[in-house]
Amino acid sequence: MRPLTVKRLLWTCGALAAVLLACVVLALKLGAVPISITDLIVNLGRIAIGQSDQLPTEYRLIVFDLRLPRILLGILVGAALSVAGASFQALLRNPLADPFVLGVSSGAALGSILMLIIAPQIAVLSPVGAFLGAIATITAVYFLGRRDGQLDSTTLLLGGIISASFLSAIIMFLMTTLAGRDLRGMVFWLMGDLSTPVPAGLRWIFTAGLLIGIGAIYTTAADLNLLLTGEREAIHLGVDVTRVKLVVYVSASLLTALAVSASGAIGYVGLLVPHAVRLIFGSDYRLLIPASALCGAIAIVLADTLARTVVAPTELPVGAMTAMAGAPIFIYLLRRGLR
Amino acid sequence: MGLNHGGIPHSIRNDGEVRVFPKWIGRRRVAVFQAIISVLPLLLVGEFASAHAASQVSGPATRSLTDETGRLVKIPSDVKRVVSLAPNLTEIIFALGKGDQLAGDTDFCDYPPAAKKKPHVGGPVNPNFEQIVALKPDLILATSINRRETVNALDRLGLPVFLTDPHSVDEMIATVDHIGNALNSVETTASLVSNLRARLADLDRRLIGTQPRRVLFIVWTDPLISVGRDAFIADALRHAGAQSVVDTVEEWPRINLEEIIKLQPEYLVFASAHAGDTQHDIEALRARPGWRQLNALRLGNIVVISDAINRPAPRMVDAIEQLARALHPESFHTSSSSPATTPQPIEEACACAR
Repeated sequence: MRPLTVKRLLWTCGALAAVLLACVVLALKLGAVPISITDLIVNLGRIAIGQSDQLPTEYRLIVFDLRLPRILLGILVGAALSVAGASFQALLRNPLADPFVLGVSSGAALGSILMLIIAPQIAVLSPVGAFLGAIATITAVYFLGRRDGQLDSTTLLLGGIISASFLSAIIMFLMTTLAGRDLRGMVFWLMGDLSTPVPAGLRWIFTAGLLIGIGAIYTTAADLNLLLTGEREAIHLGVDVTRVKLVVYVSASLLTALAVSASGAIGYVGLLVPHAVRLIFGSDYRLLIPASALCGAIAIVLADTLARTVVAPTELPVGAMTAMAGAPIFIYLLRRGLR
Repeated sequence: MGLNHGGIPHSIRNDGEVRVFPKWIGRRRVAVFQAIISVLPLLLVGEFASAHAASQVSGPATRSLTDETGRLVKIPSDVKRVVSLAPNLTEIIFALGKGDQLAGDTDFCDYPPAAKKKPHVGGPVNPNFEQIVALKPDLILATSINRRETVNALDRLGLPVFLTDPHSVDEMIATVDHIGNALNSVETTASLVSNLRARLADLDRRLIGTQPRRVLFIVWTDPLISVGRDAFIADALRHAGAQSVVDTVEEWPRINLEEIIKLQPEYLVFASAHAGDTQHDIEALRARPGWRQLNALRLGNIVVISDAINRPAPRMVDAIEQLARALHPESFHTSSSSPATTPQPIEEACACAR
């Protein structure tokens, strides 16, 4: 593996950003209603020169009020989940760690649902509840995973899986006993669904929260590299392990919570994307984090485009797509990496 | 690569010193720099999104209606393109003779047969918004089986959604009236509504003095699902001289069979489009341990009515009449003596009561 230089970092991120942009254009084009690529470019041009009022109404509704917000949400959610997954993998020194596997997604979902039951009118409480749920779950799983003062990889994963199924059972219980009109939509949400946009008032809070979370984790990227060699080694190399852990746990929980409260529990992205990035670009967290964010965004945008188009006009939940596409890709990457 | 991270990153192999970055870039500064770069494309695209606020549907003359949940809906005075988001609404539109104004309906809209030929917008629970927009509707009809998120999303797109919410047979008739009003179908609506009301009144008259039959309405057998007290089907049962043995707040409760064996309903009521299939199901149920203990099943007190009862639409009254005749045949023996007072079922309804 070549050493990481600023030049390589910029080239990699630039190339991935270009791929993401191409995916966005593709996602804008594809959908239940066919739109030609020339039309799309002409109209994007019109917007660029400030003539957006000349667009046909349906066209504007479909491309800019339906597809674009959904794509943007997909970008944010994909970036958040991938970065959260990559950070959990470093902190727990466990390559199978992922917000979904660790039960953090389920914790966030439960917190979000509880808030919706207690105060359905106050929309902002749902992400707050998700955050509290995520933090509580990762704390619980962390302590479940400790044995003789050391993190035990197997115990940790078992703790996560058991927490996830326990929390899912509580969610099922709540949904059955409180079955009503408002909780019915949650079946879709729980499977991971991008079709419900974030309420307008929360949109910027979401974006800001996700950027702050990713940024905060990125400030610790070099420390995470050292942490991977072992906690004691990192301390000897001068890493303030307690601070790094606190920053990363809180930020990763925040990222998971925001992603889950916006789009439900989309699984496997946090597990697969950082792995794929590691296999392709190496495991230096200074590159891994931005590359994971971009690749996560690409993955979700593509998965959601598939979810929208495979059986159009009926839509699939994007969570089903990520799970379906995820496992084979994971096996392929694993085999390739072993060779 | 298995269960490890692929070793220590190259850059920190020498003395743990990070030295591949030029000196002038501190670790922190790199972080900020990179964060900005990775986020730049998002912000650029974000600009496009913010440039497009909620759209205005402009048209010639408009009028405002209040829907069944109290929302104000602005629609053109002359509605030309309707999208229906539920099978019962599609049926109502056709019953009002406005099928030609139906621009699109759901995958589940199968009655009348012409409804199947309309462009579909997906299922009622997760319709495809793009498809709805592409149909250029000037009115969208929705009901309580649609999700609130769906209605909110359509609102945000500036599309007029008239939300119906019938929970009883009377409210179903009111819904017919409201939709007729929105579609400017004054005469057809008036005659359809009065026909339905007269038929229900006739049933009431016939059933005076009869004891309601205690029935179990079976929505689904595996798992056993029946209807709660607020479901429109429970009200339809009451109109047919029946009383559901199930009394829950939940609209579609999952029922424990033991409870039903304790309650011993007089009749089991199935709704089906294909009576043959149901007969098959019933034979299978007879052989099953718990079900054998239901007297109604043993005695063959089973009524299979049209699945029209599952949809709050005019055809539902046909199913109610069918059930009333099956449960209270004695009340209908005299019917031939006074045929003049019995209103005729509407044409479309007849076709389905097979």
